[in-house]
Amino acid sequence: MADVITVRDLRKSYDKLEAVKGIEFHVGAGEVFGLLGPNGAGKTSTVEILEGLRSRSSGDAVVLGFDPDRQKRQLKDRIGVCLQATNLPAKIRTQEALDLFASFYTRSLNSEQLLKRLQLWDKRDAFYETLSGGQKQRLALAMSLVNDPQLLFLDEPTTGLDPQIRLEIHSLIEELKAEQRTVLLTTHYIEEAERLCDRVAIMDEGKIVAMGTPKELQQQSKGQSRIQINVATPLRLEILPAWPDALDTKLNDDGREMTVYSNRPARTLFEIMKWLDQQGLQLDDVHLKRPTLEDVFVELTGKKLRD
Amino acid sequence: MKAYLALIAIDLKLALRQRTVIFFNYLFPMIFFFTFGVFFRARGDVENATRVLTMSTTLGVLGNGLFGAGIRALQEREMNILRRYKVTPITPGPLLVASMVTGWMIFMPYILLLLIMSHFWFHLPWPRAPLSLIAFISIGLVAFRAIGLVVASVANTMQEGTILVQLMYFPMLFLSGATFPIERGPAVLQIISKFIPATYMVEGMKDIMLNGKDITNVLKPVGALLITMVVGFIVGMNLFRWEKEEKIRGTAKLWVLAVLLPFFVMGIVQWVKR
Repeated sequence: MADVITVRDLRKSYDKLEAVKGIEFHVGAGEVFGLLGPNGAGKTSTVEILEGLRSRSSGDAVVLGFDPDRQKRQLKDRIGVCLQATNLPAKIRTQEALDLFASFYTRSLNSEQLLKRLQLWDKRDAFYETLSGGQKQRLALAMSLVNDPQLLFLDEPTTGLDPQIRLEIHSLIEELKAEQRTVLLTTHYIEEAERLCDRVAIMDEGKIVAMGTPKELQQQSKGQSRIQINVATPLRLEILPAWPDALDTKLNDDGREMTVYSNRPARTLFEIMKWLDQQGLQLDDVHLKRPTLEDVFVELTGKKLRD
Repeated sequence: MKAYLALIAIDLKLALRQRTVIFFNYLFPMIFFFTFGVFFRARGDVENATRVLTMSTTLGVLGNGLFGAGIRALQEREMNILRRYKVTPITPGPLLVASMVTGWMIFMPYILLLLIMSHFWFHLPWPRAPLSLIAFISIGLVAFRAIGLVVASVANTMQEGTILVQLMYFPMLFLSGATFPIERGPAVLQIISKFIPATYMVEGMKDIMLNGKDITNVLKPVGALLITMVVGFIVGMNLFRWEKEEKIRGTAKLWVLAVLLPFFVMGIVQWVKR
């Protein structure tokens, strides 16, 4: 897989503040790569350097074979960018906006096809000011695709949207991935990174503190899996046996919900099921929760993602 | 070229969809036109009719340039509209050119309307050098739009921009002869008026309309307006900012003086001659 983005010892300082402190990573063609981190972690500076919007202080960056500092226009012509917090004139119509932005690129897609793909064709004559938040975001995504880019930068593409719209946008990103487009995604939403990203880099205070596939990162975690059991008859802690590999067992107030923390959840769960069957207890529900990227993130940084 | 044409087309459509644009470009100066017409008894009096035509044109140029170009550019930055353009391969050039061309296209029908109404209502003869008149007004308009764009470039916030525009708009309105005949005012005001760009707009127009001159006979105001236009465009391009977060140093506001420098020189020359 050829690299679409290569970053070596990248640094960015604003006066005395060093926002990016010598990070390294690469993104392969067709990969969805996620940058995770709280506000101020250096994600936006990194992405804006790669988009040609900001100059780096030192280090190397190559994007689609271009130097983002010296070949800004060539680079911008080939990439698609969906920014947070942008706007369009209130009285511009949806299709007009797309046609206008198409005129800025040497190569562009047909606006009708794009609007249909993003389910905006019915709104083609609507003024921007009349669109809902989800429709505006879909238009922003359509605009980032107008030059048929092989590399897309999506900055928090679902922030502030309701769950239904968020799922629609996730499906679209999955379609882009299926089309072998490369995507660099920044997000606050853990489930978004887990669902969409092939690899994730966790940034904190200008550094990459962990990088790998979501599964690799979860496996690196020292955290335990959580088994949650709901039963019809209330339980008491005294009657519960010591589950193999379990680190802790808790019961809720009415004794109908038991939570067991384990390093080897499959074995522990098997023993719990066996015991419940032997006791003749009716099982209402069971959940197994593995450590999430959020857990990994908290372990590595001591912060929550939305700090 | 397709980006220039697309931007001009969309700017034009957007302008025509805004009631405020129609109001400030047509109705507002037209109210002054009728008021001045009655006040100066312009009907049948060529000199007064020319004065009213000149005043109404200058008022329109000031509004179109300082508010139409300057404040609008600031609004687009404040509302994060320019930020969306920033991620595309487009440079400030096409955006500024489109702003100039659109401003001109919106303004010219107003001028034609003024000329037609002056002719039929005031019985003002048609201008002897109509092309010179249109060319001169066009240069003036683009020069004032350039001043507006420089204001937008050096102002960090809408508040700052509005203050800067008002600081220019009102002296130009009252001290250039655009709202009352400055030649009848006190000597000190007449001296001050020589330092004000709008004065040269008023004088150049009067020379073409009243004294039968063409554009080659009003080279001083044409030259000053052209220099302002070029300097304004260059400064506007170089100080162009796409995002409201990109702040500019306070000293950069001195660029407004650079764009007004030709008129400062003209003012000194006129003062010394006097």
